[in-house]
Amino acid sequence: MTHDLEALRRDVRSFLKAQAPADWRASSRTQDDFVRTQRDWFGKLVHAGYAIPHWPAEYPGGGRSLAEQKVIYEELARADCPRLLLSFVSTYHAFATLHECGNAAQKARYLPRILEGETWCQGFSEPGAGSDLAAIKTRAERKGDVYVINGQKVWSTMAQFADKCLLLARTASDGPKQAGITYLLMDMKAPGVAVRPIHQIQGDEEFAEIFLDNVEIPVCERVGEEGMGWAVAQATLASERGLTLMELSYRMRGALGRVAGLIRKHGHEDDRGVLRDFGVLVTQVDAVCALADQFLDNRINGIERIGDASIVKNAYSRALRAYSALGLRLGGMDEQYVAPITFGDLNTGNWMADFMNSYAWTIAGGSEEVQRNIIAERMLEMPREPKGWVL
Amino acid sequence: MIELNELTDAAQKAFPAGSLSPARDESWRLAAEMGWLMVRLPEADGGLGFTREASTALHLEMGRILSAMPLIPAQLGLQAMAASHDFAERAEWLERLAAGEYAPLPMLGAALTPSPDGTVSGTISGVFEADMAAAIIAQLPNGYALVPLDAPGVSIVERAIWDPSRRLFDVILDGYTPTLMLTDAAGAKALHDQLSGEAQLALAADCIGAAGAALDMTIEYMKVRRQFDRPIALFQALKHRAADMKTKITVAEALLWKRVRDESASLTDLAATKVLAAEAFRFVTEEMVQLHGGIGLTDEHPCHLFLKRALLNLQLCGNADLWNERVGREALSATG
Ligand SMILES: Cc1cc2nc3c(=O)[nH]c(=O)nc-3n(C[C@H](O)[C@H](O)[C@H](O)COP(=O)(O)OP(=O)(O)OC[C@H]3O[C@@H](n4cnc5c(N)ncnc54)[C@H](O)[C@@H]3O)c2cc1C
Repeated sequence: MTHDLEALRRDVRSFLKAQAPADWRASSRTQDDFVRTQRDWFGKLVHAGYAIPHWPAEYPGGGRSLAEQKVIYEELARADCPRLLLSFVSTYHAFATLHECGNAAQKARYLPRILEGETWCQGFSEPGAGSDLAAIKTRAERKGDVYVINGQKVWSTMAQFADKCLLLARTASDGPKQAGITYLLMDMKAPGVAVRPIHQIQGDEEFAEIFLDNVEIPVCERVGEEGMGWAVAQATLASERGLTLMELSYRMRGALGRVAGLIRKHGHEDDRGVLRDFGVLVTQVDAVCALADQFLDNRINGIERIGDASIVKNAYSRALRAYSALGLRLGGMDEQYVAPITFGDLNTGNWMADFMNSYAWTIAGGSEEVQRNIIAERMLEMPREPKGWVL
Repeated sequence: MIELNELTDAAQKAFPAGSLSPARDESWRLAAEMGWLMVRLPEADGGLGFTREASTALHLEMGRILSAMPLIPAQLGLQAMAASHDFAERAEWLERLAAGEYAPLPMLGAALTPSPDGTVSGTISGVFEADMAAAIIAQLPNGYALVPLDAPGVSIVERAIWDPSRRLFDVILDGYTPTLMLTDAAGAKALHDQLSGEAQLALAADCIGAAGAALDMTIEYMKVRRQFDRPIALFQALKHRAADMKTKITVAEALLWKRVRDESASLTDLAATKVLAAEAFRFVTEEMVQLHGGIGLTDEHPCHLFLKRALLNLQLCGNADLWNERVGREALSATG
C-alpha cells in the first residue's frame, strides 16, 4: 500500500517535471490566455490520468483511493502548476451530481464530455439568495416536455466560459422553502440565456451574472424528481471535501518564499518585529497544513464529523488573509501601484490582488459566519436559531 | 496505538474531568503507581520505552484537569538522567526516580557565577514543586549536574506565583561544589536541545488539554446561563466566539500531533508548536472569563485558574516573542 503510494508519487512527480507549464503565471495575464492555459493543462492531466482520480474506475484515470488522490494533489501543489479552476465545477460538482443523482442517460451523455473539456458552471446563488440558498426565486414552469425558466443567477464562477450549468429553480412556492426546488441541467447556449461577467475588486472577472428569459430546458434534463432539487444540491455542495484545501494550504506553504523575498528586498533581515510577524505566519500556515492533512487522513480512515470541514475552511481562509496581508504590508507603497495580475490564482505575489482575492474564501462556499454557525450548533451543540433561519 | 488509548483511558479514570487540580501529593503517588514516570524510560533501563505520543497524551490529560503535580519537569529530569551514560550513579538514580522520587529540571533560565575554586553561586529559577524534590538536574557552567537539595550550599525559596495550580521555587546556590556531573560543558548543548524540545511538546500538550477543558466548561455555562429570556448560547455573537475558540484549539492540536510524530522536527519547530498552543490557550481563557461575566472575575469560579495557567505556560521555556522571531529568522534563511 505505502509502496504503491510511493510509486504513484514518483510517477506523478516525473510527469510533472516533464509536462508542468513553467510560465503559466506570466502567460495568464489576460482572460483568453488564462482559458487557453487551463484547457491545455486539463487536457494533459486527463491524458496522463491525473485529472479525475476521484471518478470511478471505468473512466480513464479514475478509481483512485482517497490516499492516492491526496498524493496526486500534494505533488500538484509542490510543482506549483496551475490549479484546475476552469474544470473544477465540471469534475467535482457536475460529476458528483450526475454520479449520485443523475440517470443513466445523463451520465452516459455528460461525463465523457467533461473529459473532452466541456465546462460547467454552478447557477445556485441569486441576488436575494446567498447564504440563505433555499430562498431562490428563479422559476421553472412545466409546459409539456420542457421547463420554461425565468429569473436571474449571480456569482456564478466562470459562467462566461461555460457550456453547461447546474441550475436550481423553483417549481412550487408553497410549503417549506427547501421544498419545491428543482434541479436542472441547462445548456448555456440555449436561447434566452444571457451572461454578464462581473468585474471584481482585484481586476479579475472570475464570476458572472446569468439572466434567464423564457429559457426552455427539456424535462429529460432534470436531475431527480420535480421539487426534490434541494437534496440533489446537497450532493453537489458536498462533492469536494478537503482535497482542495490541502492543495491550497501546501501551495501557500510553498509561497512563503515570496514573503521572505519581500523581507530581503526591503532590508528587514534584522528587524525583529518583522521576523516575529513572519514567524507567526509561518507557524500559522504550517498548522493549517497539518490540519488539512489530519482532516484527509481521518477521511481515509472513515472518520468525518460534522463541522470538521468548516474548521478547515475557516482556518485556511484566515491564514490566507494573514499571508496576503503581511505581504501587502511589507511590500509598502510599491503595492499601491497597479501591476498586471495573474488570472485565477490566490497567491500570485501581486499582494494587493491576492489580499482582495482572499475574501473569496471567507465568503464563497458558505461564508465564515455560516461556517461558525455550523461549528457552534452542530459540533459544539449550542442551541440552534429558530427554525427556518439556518442553512 | 492501543497502548496510547489505554493510557488515556486510565488517566481519565484516575483523574476525572471536572475535579480540578486534585491534591498534589496523592496525585503524584497515583501517577507513580500507574508507571507514568517510566513511560519514556527505555526498556533497557527498566522503563516502558514508549514514544513521544504516549507522554504527549498524558500531558494533555493532565492539562485538562490543571494537574497540580509536576509530571513535566519530572519527566524531563528522568530523561536527562537516562541520557547521562557517564554518570556513575546513573542506574541507582534511575531506579529511585522511576519509583517516585522527584528530581525536576528547571523550566526557566539561571544566573550562575563560577568561582576559580570550582564552586558555583547564583539562582536557578523555575523549579516546580521543589519542596517535594530530592534533587534538581540543572545546567551549571561546566555541564549538567545532579544537585541534591540537601547538599551544603544549596537552599530553596518559594516564589509565590499567580497560577494557583502549581508552585514555583528558586534554588539558591551559595558556594556549591558540583560533584555529580551528568555531562561536561560540551555535552550540555546537545542535551539541552533534546530536553528543550521535549519540554516544548509537553507544555503544548498541557495547553491543548487545558484549553479544551476551558472551552467545554464555557459552553456548558453558556447553555445554562439565561439572560433576556434565553440561554446566552443562543446569541449568535457569542456562538461565533465559541466556534473561533474551537477552531484555534483544533488547529494548534493538529500541529502538535504532526510534530510529535515527526522525529525530524527541529527545536524551533517544536517551540513554535508550543507557542501556537499557548496562544490558543490564552485566547480561549480570555474569552472564558469574558463569557462568564461577573462570575468569571471571582476566585470562587475556576475560570481564573485556566487564565493564570495559560499566562504562566506562555513564559516557560522561552516566550512567544523569542520563538516567533527565531521561526521567522530560520524560515527566512531556509529560502536563502
Ligand atoms: C469568488 C466567489 C465565487 C462564487 N461562485 C459561485 C458559483 O459558482 N455558483 C454559485 O451559485 N454561487 C457562487 N458564489 C456565491 C456564494 O455562494 C455566496 O456569495 C455566498 O454563499 C454568500 O452569499 P451572499 O454573497 O449573498 O452574502 P449574504 O448571504 O448576503 O451575506 C452577507 C453577510 O451576512 C452574513 N450572514 C448571512 N447569513 C448569516 C447568518 N445566518 N448568520 C450570520 N451571518 C450571516 C454573511 O456571512 C456575510 O458576511 C460565489 C461567491 C464568491 C465570492
